[in-house]
Amino acid sequence: MLHLLGVNLPDQKLVQYALPLFYGIGQKTALKVLATLSIHKTCKIADLSEPQVNQLSTLLSDMKIESDLRKQIRANIMHHRSIGSYVGRRHAMGLPVRGQNTKNNAKTARRLNGRWLKAEKREYSSSTRSIIPTAESPFESFFNRKWF
Amino acid sequence: MTRSAWKGPFFVALPGLRQALTQNIPVRTNARACTIIPSFVGLKFQIHNGKDYTPLTVTDEMVGHKLGEFAPTRKRFSYRQTKNR
Repeated sequence: MLHLLGVNLPDQKLVQYALPLFYGIGQKTALKVLATLSIHKTCKIADLSEPQVNQLSTLLSDMKIESDLRKQIRANIMHHRSIGSYVGRRHAMGLPVRGQNTKNNAKTARRLNGRWLKAEKREYSSSTRSIIPTAESPFESFFNRKWF
Repeated sequence: MTRSAWKGPFFVALPGLRQALTQNIPVRTNARACTIIPSFVGLKFQIHNGKDYTPLTVTDEMVGHKLGEFAPTRKRFSYRQTKNR
């Protein structure tokens, strides 16, 4: 077992298939990581040398994965919720956000959409939530889109 | 798909905007597709939702969204036993 940034990577797995165990890394990103560190595709976690592991951990710590990514996603949804837009309402209702049909099914949305808000509530009650500073204010993001 | 940057944000020239700024009168509009631009912040709007006009006070977090996002167009289904009531 290799313990990296709070995730256990099993020894017998290929690095290529172990990296997607991180939240926010898929097949594609895993291959990119391998390419940047010049690790061959058949390399297993156990075969990684010490400097390679160090390189990997520094690279991964710079990426937006795991709790950082979760925080970002939640902040994006909470932004919609707090301004009371349609998107925020649909999230709160646990229904599809982007105009999909709801006559039947909408199973994915029913399963997933309320959960970010629920997680927020749970954390409010335990009062462990620190206020996440957003990267840029709405004004900045509006002007940064180079519209003018 | 994001809108091309060279086009700039889509917004409609709303009549009575200057009057609204000075006298704090709500701007009544049907232009749901109009982007909320920074100069709208603090203004009151009445946005058409297909039936009547829903009130909205613009805060700076709403900048960059469309006016229509804040006026829901659908009514929630509620069951009634008879139709003649």
